[in-house]
Amino acid sequence: MTSVLDPALPAPRRWIASERASDVEITQAIAEPLFAPAGRMWWIALLVSLAFALWFMGSIGWLFYQGIGIWGINSTTVWGVAIANYVWWIGIGNAGTLISAMLSLTRQQWRSSINRFAEAMTLFAVAIAGIMPIIHLGRPIYAYWLAPYPNTMALWPQWRSALVWDFWAIISYLLFSILFWYVSLIPDLATMRDRARNRAGQLLYGVFALGWRGSARHWSRLQTLHTTMAALGVPLVCSVHSIVGLDFAASLMPGWQESIFPPYFVVGAMYSGFAMVIVLALAIRWGFELQAIVTENHFEVIGRILLMASIVMGYSYATEWFMGWYGGEHSDRSLVGFEFSGSYAPLFWALLICNVALPQALWFPRVRRSLPALFVIAIAINIGMWLERILIIWNTLSHDYMPSLWRVFHFTFWDWSFLIAPLGFFAFLFLLFVRLVPAVSMFDMRQLAHREGAA
Amino acid sequence: MPPVNELPVKQSRISGRGTGALNRRQALGVLASGIASGLAACSKPDQQIIPYVKLPERVVPGEPLKFATTLPLSGIGRGVIVTSIDGRPIKVEGNPRHPASLGATDVFAEAAVLSLYDPDRSRTILNSGAIASREAFRQALQAHLQQVRQRGGEGFRLLTGRVTSPTLLRQIDDVLQLFPKAAWHAYEPVDEDSERDGAMLAYGRPLQIVPRLEKARVLVNLDADPLGPGPDQLRAARGFADRRTPQGEGFSRIYSIEAAPTLTGAKADHRIALHPRLISEAGIAIANSMGAEIRQAELPDHVLRVVKQAAADLSANRGGGLVLAGQALSPESHALVHWINQHLQAPVDLIDRADRTAAGREAATLAELTRDLASGAVDTLVLIGVNPAYDAPADLEFARHSAKASFRLHLGCYVDETAVLSTWHIPQTHILEAWSDLRSRDGTASLVQPLIRPLFQGWTDHEVLALLTRHADASPYDLVRETWRPKAQGGFEEWWRQALHDGVIAASAAPPITPGPPKLPNVSAVVTPSAAMTILLRPDPSLWDGSFANNAWLQECPKPLTKQVWGNSLALNPQEAKRFGLSSGDVVTLVADGRQIEAPIAVEPGVADGIASLTLGLGRRNAGAIGNGVGANAFAIRTATHSWTIPEVTITKTGRRDEILTTQNVVRTAADVRELYPLHDLSELGKLQTTSSADARPSLLPEQPPQTDDGHAWAMVIDASICIGCNACVVACQAENNVAVVGPEEVARGRDMHWLRVDVYDHGSAASPKLGFQPVPCMHCEHAPCEPVCPVAASVHDSEGLNVQVYNRCIGTRFCEANCPYKVRRFNFFGYADGEEYANLGLEPYRAQRNPEVTVRARGVMEKCTYCVQRISASRRAAERDERLIGVDEVKTACQSACPTSAITFGDLHQQDSAVNRQKADPRHYALLGHLGTRPRTTYLADVRNPAPGLDEEAT
Repeated sequence: MTSVLDPALPAPRRWIASERASDVEITQAIAEPLFAPAGRMWWIALLVSLAFALWFMGSIGWLFYQGIGIWGINSTTVWGVAIANYVWWIGIGNAGTLISAMLSLTRQQWRSSINRFAEAMTLFAVAIAGIMPIIHLGRPIYAYWLAPYPNTMALWPQWRSALVWDFWAIISYLLFSILFWYVSLIPDLATMRDRARNRAGQLLYGVFALGWRGSARHWSRLQTLHTTMAALGVPLVCSVHSIVGLDFAASLMPGWQESIFPPYFVVGAMYSGFAMVIVLALAIRWGFELQAIVTENHFEVIGRILLMASIVMGYSYATEWFMGWYGGEHSDRSLVGFEFSGSYAPLFWALLICNVALPQALWFPRVRRSLPALFVIAIAINIGMWLERILIIWNTLSHDYMPSLWRVFHFTFWDWSFLIAPLGFFAFLFLLFVRLVPAVSMFDMRQLAHREGAA
Repeated sequence: MPPVNELPVKQSRISGRGTGALNRRQALGVLASGIASGLAACSKPDQQIIPYVKLPERVVPGEPLKFATTLPLSGIGRGVIVTSIDGRPIKVEGNPRHPASLGATDVFAEAAVLSLYDPDRSRTILNSGAIASREAFRQALQAHLQQVRQRGGEGFRLLTGRVTSPTLLRQIDDVLQLFPKAAWHAYEPVDEDSERDGAMLAYGRPLQIVPRLEKARVLVNLDADPLGPGPDQLRAARGFADRRTPQGEGFSRIYSIEAAPTLTGAKADHRIALHPRLISEAGIAIANSMGAEIRQAELPDHVLRVVKQAAADLSANRGGGLVLAGQALSPESHALVHWINQHLQAPVDLIDRADRTAAGREAATLAELTRDLASGAVDTLVLIGVNPAYDAPADLEFARHSAKASFRLHLGCYVDETAVLSTWHIPQTHILEAWSDLRSRDGTASLVQPLIRPLFQGWTDHEVLALLTRHADASPYDLVRETWRPKAQGGFEEWWRQALHDGVIAASAAPPITPGPPKLPNVSAVVTPSAAMTILLRPDPSLWDGSFANNAWLQECPKPLTKQVWGNSLALNPQEAKRFGLSSGDVVTLVADGRQIEAPIAVEPGVADGIASLTLGLGRRNAGAIGNGVGANAFAIRTATHSWTIPEVTITKTGRRDEILTTQNVVRTAADVRELYPLHDLSELGKLQTTSSADARPSLLPEQPPQTDDGHAWAMVIDASICIGCNACVVACQAENNVAVVGPEEVARGRDMHWLRVDVYDHGSAASPKLGFQPVPCMHCEHAPCEPVCPVAASVHDSEGLNVQVYNRCIGTRFCEANCPYKVRRFNFFGYADGEEYANLGLEPYRAQRNPEVTVRARGVMEKCTYCVQRISASRRAAERDERLIGVDEVKTACQSACPTSAITFGDLHQQDSAVNRQKADPRHYALLGHLGTRPRTTYLADVRNPAPGLDEEAT
């Protein structure tokens, strides 16, 4: 809505690229598009992503019918795309919570512009991530055996297994994400209720707004609850990915016993999550013409975070190699050699380029402010992070203690399906989200505008 | 409305109405008839039935019974004991009383139970491809024989494989007596012609050699492979093992000079890859060193050094030195080896061959038969259990010439390549369905008794021969008894019962002959080598001559040295492959004397320069659903004169690729080999320390196992020094534990289900491999890495130290296999045994083979070696019933009881005098990847070699 908030005018403020942004203007800029009919682009995108969503569902159906033999996994490399996807999607999810919780606790005001859709991203990503370990199972019908419930077998889960920890991590993270997202959504839902032009909208938004009236007491309660949840969320988000990391750390295999994995997985998750935020922010900014609200400064800040994360990732990789060599175990050293020169070496080099080399361009402010460059780097990071996850699995399983059984993973059509189709499914969910709920937090933005002195 | 159409009643009326126009009355009618037909299906039959109240003698439902019988390989018997449950034979074990088994089995014996239930077996009589009745066949045969008899048998030819069965030989005598002008021909695809001709040259008689490896302190193999697959493998392997335990008497030294890697070569102390032409020279060199004074042997220096050392060792061990020659060598070389052995007073017996009749008749050759067929002198051809259209030498053109005989009768288990060419095909019984008798390599006779009535109404060879001699009503049972009645000592019935019970006929071995000094043969001049490649043929280690091609266990049994499954390949050494610009998987065309086949290349170190080796037995066209079209048919380029080496072969690249399917890699990286497969010199053994104390590494984990309820702690020790890699354990495990076959497509995806694999390690170099075998079952780790990672406690420890997998609890996370350092777990990616079987393996007859004491695993669950927990359980039940403890070494696992060298020891660590405890005290004892702290219960004794002190490593 260029007419409401004009980013073309010279703006003295850092986080709002508009000369003036009153409460009404901000609300209008964000809420109005939801009441206008969806554009053609949205419909085309929805249909395309729907096709992917159906492909994903169809693939799951075929998987259940045929068995997991349709994947490229084999007797030695028993894990494959499903686990890599799981880790990757959980990682994507991480950034949303970090932006909302961590940046809210550290009073980083600029988060206001992006926290809503980043949290939605978290929600959908975690939901997709949650599907992956289930379809990974040989007998998915018994996935519920991971839950401790009273049963005639008198059996409980085996608590020493990292997979049980995973189960709890995903469940608690998913529940938290939903609640955290919803709590911060309530005032905006009330706004939508009040602005809805038909009865259905009023009812629907009204039910979910839980009778929000915007009283001082409401705001106070919301603030307390949100801050408390944020304080809970930060350790939770770290623990989730630490536990995912433990899948590969609490083990006996070469390359799967590194104590650096928990923090390194957390940083890696944040890394891929922020890269995904860039991609989504670019899409929303363009689709809803919110150039004034999501500014170049936002991208620049995220660029800096990515740069920091890429250095940490590089350091983590180097630590892995160093420890592999320094530990002196034949199998560990052999594994490091295999990573650089074995069957998956081209992928490994691609990983290093995507995750470590390319993001070094972000040292240059011009690159951080160039949206096309950021887009390319963000996509590269997401590819690199997926490669990192699949290679953690493949390298170790394909090059373990028994040279007689070293086997390489071969992609099948169904591996590609489970890699690509969920992306479309994610886009589908996200497209529905932006049409139903304000993609940017209106009340946070109004607050920001006041702080920035633009209101 | 398809469901309604399925009802047998009132079908026309309802379906005639069109779509869905059922009114209420009709619907009720259909319902009622449906209920009625359902009830009828459950009602008792019209005839009187007898409940199973009075059991047949000895039969207890679910209790296994064991019967001794004999299985043939190339017509030579190996005694076995077959386990039968509820009338179904399900498992073959060795017969300790039988000299050709000594309690062990080979892959072919183990796989026999699967072939028994093969649904592709021939089921009906065929007359030129059309189903015919027994009566029609009898009439046609009698009418035809009438004519033949009038001619005195002229034009009548009988073709068999190698016959050692005294009953069959007696019947052949009868046939030839009745048809004086008829002739009996015999051939065996895995022939021993040069061995027989060699004996003729040396002694003037076709004597059979029976080497005694247990007495051989020095063994020199000139392309011979006594430990390799074959009818005498089990006896030779036991003899080898007796001489290869460092604690035992007189550790032997083995030299192998061979053209392509063999099992014997793998276990040899010195191995040289050499062209067969030069191997004969090595024989000359050895003979010369003993004063034979033949011409100078022409050998390269490095070979000569080893040969001289071998000759010196032989001479120094008079009475304990033994030289064996392989089939690829000429009769002259065999004769020379006879001379050497005689000179050395070698531990080798000479006996009369078993394949001649009591009346002294010997079979004519296949070449003579095809010659006569071509000339039109044959009009009646009776083929008993042979498949010459597939496995006869290609230059004899059997298929073309046989058409000239107007009456072609074929008795065979399958409608194979020969059956489709015959005018009459008769389904043959499987050997487990038949009465017969067989002789082993040393002449010992044993009876064949049926374990089950013929599944597909087959005929035995005895029945068909009885038909020819007008004894149409004679049952094979009576025929066999008739043969042995005169030979029985004491009362016949008692003798007969004893012979059946023991599975061996006492004192029936052929007495050794001393035929006088052998003649030195005239050795031909050195043949100038040609640049063209020579193809060396070998029987396939898994499929033998192709008669086992439709056996899925054998097709999926990794070949011992290459680990290839589902196919064969042309093996070239790395230098030759480089010379031709070929790599593994390249498909080449082989042209030999105008005949050509295509085969994929496998690069295999240890093949001699100028040699490409290929196995027989694949490329079947009419084998059945399993064996059809798998691999390259080497018979298509084999000729009668060049049956084992085909000279002057051109190899051209086709440009296509056909990946070699293997189940595992041969490990050649020096660091890995040293760590995982230690190999000691015999002379250095004294320096080794007992490693059992090193097993007890400090651990942060609390000491858990063994928590002993009833005092058992099961463990296994595998002696790598006597493991010959023969795969008997692999197939035994498959048979015992209902291990599924996955098929070639799944193997190509890197999947397989074997619970036990035999890893191959190479301590040598690309130019000269030094191979060793390491069977790897589940290690049953005391600190099992698979257990803590399972989220649902499907992988758990039991009170006796077994690491058990609870199939019902498994949800298929596969974390256990991911975390298993030994990679011994196998996952059902598809329902390999449960609805998604390969080819026809899901068909009903196969299910009868399954061991009812072992769960058949479903899709999506992990499985692995259980230490044959069902056998432990059976022993425990027996012990509890008798109110005693399980005896020392009472439980034998399937792999253990199959092993021909007794390399596998299993038992209870808590019984002080158990064999595993003795083995663990051996200084060679080590735990695989022991440094990981898994405390495996399966441990190993390191391989030991005994190289000659003088020879440097370069030459070996």
